[in-house]
Amino acid sequence: METQRALDRRVQDCIRARGFSKLSEIQQKAIPLVREGRNLLLVAPTGTGKTESAMIPVFDAMMSQTGGGFCTLYITPLRSLNRDMLQRLEWWCRELGLRVGVRHGDTTQTERRKQALHPPDLLITTPETLQALFMGKVLRKHLANVRYVVIDEIHELAGSKRGAQLAVALERLREYAGEFQRIGLSATVGNPDEVGRFLCGARDFSIVCVPVTKHLEISVDFAGDSFEKQAAWVSRAIGRHESTLVFVNTRVTAEALGHQLYHRGDVEVHHGSLSKDVRIEAEERFRSGSVRALISTSSMELGIDIGRIEHVVQFGSPREVARLVQRVGRAGHQMDAVSRGTVLATGFDDLLESLVIARRAKAGQVEDVNIHLNAADVLANQIAALSVEYREISRQRIRDIVERSYPFANAGDLVDEVCTQMAEHGLIRIEGEMVRSGGRSRRYLSSNLSMIHDERKVVVFDMVARKTVGTLDESFVVGFVHTGAVFITKGQLWRVLDMEEGRIIVEPAKKAKGELPSWEGEQIPVPFSVAREVGSLRRSRDFSPYHPGERPLEFAARFLLEMDRNRTKVPHDTLITLENAPEGVVCNVCAGHKANEALARVLSILLSARYGTTVGIEIDAYRIYLRLPSSVKAADVREILCSLDPAHIEGILQLAMKRTALFKWKMVQVAKKFGAIDPDADYERISTHRLVEIFDGTVVQKEAYRELFSVYMDVPAAARIVSLVREGSIEVVVSPLSILGAEGLWASRDQISPPTADQAVIGTLKRRLEQQEIILACMHCRNWKSRTTVSRVPDPLRCPVCGAGLVAVLKPWEESLMAIVKKKEKNDEERALAQRLLRNANIVLSGGKKAVTALAARGVGPENASRILSTLAEGDGFYREIIRAERNYIRTRRFW
Amino acid sequence: MRLDFLETGPALLVEEDLRVLVAGDLHLGIESDLSRHGLHIRSRSRQRKERLLSCIESASPDLLVLLGDVKHNVPLTSRQEFQELPGILDALRSKVPINLVPGNHDPGIEKFFREGEVLSKTGALIDGVGYIHGHTYPDPLLQGHLIIAGHHHPMISIRDEVGCALRSPGYLLASVDDLCLQFPESPEREAGETRVLFIPALNELAGYDIIRTAKEPFSPLSRCMNTEQSEVFLADGTFIGPLGSLEDHGDAEGA
Repeated sequence: METQRALDRRVQDCIRARGFSKLSEIQQKAIPLVREGRNLLLVAPTGTGKTESAMIPVFDAMMSQTGGGFCTLYITPLRSLNRDMLQRLEWWCRELGLRVGVRHGDTTQTERRKQALHPPDLLITTPETLQALFMGKVLRKHLANVRYVVIDEIHELAGSKRGAQLAVALERLREYAGEFQRIGLSATVGNPDEVGRFLCGARDFSIVCVPVTKHLEISVDFAGDSFEKQAAWVSRAIGRHESTLVFVNTRVTAEALGHQLYHRGDVEVHHGSLSKDVRIEAEERFRSGSVRALISTSSMELGIDIGRIEHVVQFGSPREVARLVQRVGRAGHQMDAVSRGTVLATGFDDLLESLVIARRAKAGQVEDVNIHLNAADVLANQIAALSVEYREISRQRIRDIVERSYPFANAGDLVDEVCTQMAEHGLIRIEGEMVRSGGRSRRYLSSNLSMIHDERKVVVFDMVARKTVGTLDESFVVGFVHTGAVFITKGQLWRVLDMEEGRIIVEPAKKAKGELPSWEGEQIPVPFSVAREVGSLRRSRDFSPYHPGERPLEFAARFLLEMDRNRTKVPHDTLITLENAPEGVVCNVCAGHKANEALARVLSILLSARYGTTVGIEIDAYRIYLRLPSSVKAADVREILCSLDPAHIEGILQLAMKRTALFKWKMVQVAKKFGAIDPDADYERISTHRLVEIFDGTVVQKEAYRELFSVYMDVPAAARIVSLVREGSIEVVVSPLSILGAEGLWASRDQISPPTADQAVIGTLKRRLEQQEIILACMHCRNWKSRTTVSRVPDPLRCPVCGAGLVAVLKPWEESLMAIVKKKEKNDEERALAQRLLRNANIVLSGGKKAVTALAARGVGPENASRILSTLAEGDGFYREIIRAERNYIRTRRFW
Repeated sequence: MRLDFLETGPALLVEEDLRVLVAGDLHLGIESDLSRHGLHIRSRSRQRKERLLSCIESASPDLLVLLGDVKHNVPLTSRQEFQELPGILDALRSKVPINLVPGNHDPGIEKFFREGEVLSKTGALIDGVGYIHGHTYPDPLLQGHLIIAGHHHPMISIRDEVGCALRSPGYLLASVDDLCLQFPESPEREAGETRVLFIPALNELAGYDIIRTAKEPFSPLSRCMNTEQSEVFLADGTFIGPLGSLEDHGDAEGA
C-alpha cells in the first residue's frame, strides 16, 4: 500500500477503477525501482501483470512531464500488439488525460500524419516501425523528447537479429533524446543478466524476477502411438474441463487434429496461416464459451486475452522448457493461481523428452537466450539507415553509436569491413572517413526495415503430372537450385529441369540420392541439455524422479524390454551406437538437434573426403542418418568418429558447409541485407550465376558462417561429445539396426560434397576405368583373345589356354593388331608392333591388376604404363599419375 | 597440332605453325545486366582482363582470337561497356595481335575494334583450324576441320552415387554431321571429319550444364553434334570420359 500511496492521485484512482484490490508481487517490487529512475528488467511468466508493472510508474511520471514530442515509446513485436493490450493502455491514457497513438506497418496515412503534427505522449509501436521513425525530419524532432522506453517480449527480441537491430536503434535514439529510462518485460529465461545487458548496454540496471515454479502443475501422459488414439485422448481431456487450450507443434498437426475432433462441434483451430478474421472469431467464440477448446500453434502463446483457460494440453513434446513454461502458463487467470497442464507424448523419444522437460520446467531450469553478437548484416542494415538519416556520417561516429549497444560492444574492425563490403554493392559511398548514402539506399531501406527475411515462395511444378507440388524459399532457390539439382519436398525426390515464369519445373527423380532441405520455420530444436538428460534416463531406466503416470511408464518399460529382447543396445548419454541401415549408417547420439547437425556435417565431410563420395545427412535430436554408398559401413564411421580432434571441428565445418544447400540459402539471405540482392530480384536470371564465388572470402560469407554456427549448429556441444568419446567417457559401438535407430522424425536433410574437386575427378576416373572395355590377348601361346572390362579381370591374370601370365591389354580398336602379331613373315613395322605388344604383356605380368588398369587409360601404352608403375604411387596417387598421363596425351598431335 | 589447356582463364592454346590463344564469352558488362535484374556487384572485368593477360604471358602466342560475346549487353551497349572495353582491348593489343569472331552479344562492337581485327561471324579458318562463336551456321570453309566454338558456356557436373559432387567449366569435343550443318556436298574435296570443340566461357559467372545442352540444343552446332561419341574434359585438360558417363547413376538402377 505504501507503494500505491506514493503514486499520483489520478493513477491511484485508475488502479482502483481497474479492480485491482492490491498490487501483484511483481508490481510491488518493480514500481519503486522505476520511480527511482532505474533501468529495469522484469522477468515473470505471462499473466502476472507485467505491462501494468511497467506502465503504472511510467504513467505516474508522465503526469508531471511537459513538452511536445513523444514522451514514452512502448515497443512490442507485431504479433503481440493485440487488441486487449491496446484497449487497456488506451483506457489508462484516456483516464489520465494522456494522448496515445499506435503505429505499425498497417497504420493509415491519415493516422501517421496526425502523429507527426500532434505527437502522442505514448507511442505504441513495433521494432520495424521504430526504424522508420528515424527516416523523417519531423519525427526525429519528436523523438528528442523521449524519456521512457518500454520493450515488451524482450526475451524473444534478444535472441534474434531483430533484437540486435533494436539495440542499435536505441543508441541512435540516444543521439536525439539523450539518456532515457529503459524497461524490459521478459518471460522466464535462463540468463536474465545477459538480457539486461542487451537492454542497457554498459549502463546500470536492476532485475525483478518472479519465479515460475510455484505456479506450475504439469503431468505427462501417453495414449498409444496412433494418431486416432491420441486424438481420442485429447477429446476426453477437453470433456473434463470447461475451457482447454491445446498446443501443437506444427500447423499440419493443428489442422489434422482439428479435423479429427470436428465432430464434437466445440473445437476450433487457430494458427498464423489463418486469416485475421478467422482467428479473431475463434478467439471470440472461445471467450464467450461457445467453443470449449482451441487447437493452436505458438500463435496463442502470447497474452491475447481469451478469457479463462482452465487447462492446457501440449500435444507432443514441447521440445524446449521455455516453451512449456510459457504455454502452460496460459492456464489459470488470476495472478497467483496455479497453472495446470498435461503433455501428451506421442512416441518413445517423445515420452522421455516430455518427462525430462516437465521436470525441468517444475525446477525452473529454463534455457538461455542466445544473443547474436557482431551480426554483420544487422550492422550493414543500420549503417545504411544511418547514412540516410544523416546524409553523411563519419565512420568514427558510426562506431561510437553501435559500440554502445551490447550486441556490438566488441565489434572491432567489423564496422570498416562492413562499410567496405556495402560499397562493393553500391549501397553506400565511402569518401575517406565519411560515409554517404548511395542511390539505392532509400529503396533498400524501405524494403529492409526489418531483419526478418521476407521470403518469397517459389512454386515447384511437376512436369510429368502437370501440377504444382509445393513451394520453396526464394533464397534457397537463388543459392542452390540449378538445372539438374535434386531435392526433396513433400517426401518425394525431384530433379530440376528448368526455371521459368516464376517457378521451378521438376520431374520425379528415382534413386538419385541427392537430398536437401527447405528449412521449415516450425522445427523447434531440442536443446543439448534436454537431450543429454533423455540419454541419462535411457541409461538409468529410473523413472521415479519424473513421476510418470501408469500408462507412460508401462509403454516405456515395454519398449526398452523389446530393445533388450532384440539384443540391440539402447544408446544413451554414454553410449553411441552405429547401426548399418539400408542406405547408410544410423548414428544414435543423444545431443539435441544443433549439436547433431554440427557432428553430422563433420562426419560427412570426413567420410566424403576419404571415400570420394557425396554423403547425404538427416538429423534429429537423437540420431544422425548418414546416406552412404554401400561400401562404407558403420565400422568405417566408427573409425572416423573415434579419431576426431574436437579442436578441429570448427575448421572442418567451415570447409564442409561451403557447397551445401543450407550455407547457400543463408548466404543469399545475408547478401540481401547487404544490398547485394534486391528483394524482387529476378532469381531466374541470377541464380545460375555462381554466387558462392562472388561472396567467397567476404564479410557476407563470414556472417553466414557465424549465424549458422550459432543458430543452426551448436559447435561447442558437438566438441564436448567428441571430447567425451576421446577420453573414453562415451563408448562407441557398432550394432545391428534397432527399433530405436529406425524410428524417429527426420527433421533436416542436406548433402555434403567432397572437399576438393580432386576427389570427384578421381572417383570419376576410377569408375570410367573399371567400365573400360579392353581386349586381353595371350602373347605366349598367341591363341587366346578375350573382350572384357577392367573390373572383370582377375588378379593374377592367366591365359586359360596355356596358363601363362604374359597377357597384353589392348584397347578395343586395337583388336586387329593380334592378326599382325601372328603373321609368320613380318616387315620392320610389323616386327616393331609385335615388340610393343610383348612389352605390354611383360608389364602386365610384373604389374598385375594395376598394370591392367593403367593400360586401359586413354593414350597410355607400354611406355607410359611402365613409367606410372615405376613411381610406385598407391591409391589416389596412382590415379593422379594416370590423369596426368591422359592429359599429356590429349595435348598431342596424334589425338587431334 | 598441340593443344594446351590453360586452366585459369580459362583459355586454349592451339599450336600448329602459329601459336593461337583462344578465349571466348568474356561477357564484359554483365554486371550492369545483373544489376538490372537485382544483383548488385562491382565489375569484375579487371580480374578477367588480368586472367587473360596472364594466359598471354605464359603462352606467348602469336595471335589472340576472341571467340565472341566479348561484350554482354544487347541491343544497346551499356555505360559500363563503354568505360571498360577500350582499356581492356588496348591492354591485350599491347601484348599480342587480336582478332574477334563476333557473337550474338556483340552487335555494336565494331567501334571498339580496329581495321582487320574483326573476322566473319560465320567463322574463320586460321592455320587449318576453324574458329566460330557458335550461334550461326558455320561457313562451308570450315568443313572437314576441327572447329573451336564458344557460345555454349559448357559446365560439367560430376555426379556420384549420392549426388552432385563437382560443378566446373569444361570442354566438349564432338563430331558433327556435315549434312545437318548445311555444308555443300562436294565429292572431290578431300574432307576429314568435321569436329567441334566447345570451349568454356572466360566469364566466371556464366555456365550451362552440358547434359542439358545436349538434350536441348540451341544452336546449329549443338543440334548437329554426335552426342553419343562426344567427350568431356575439364578446364585443365583432364579427360573425364564420354558425355554419357556424366548422366545420373542413380536413376539407371531402376525405381
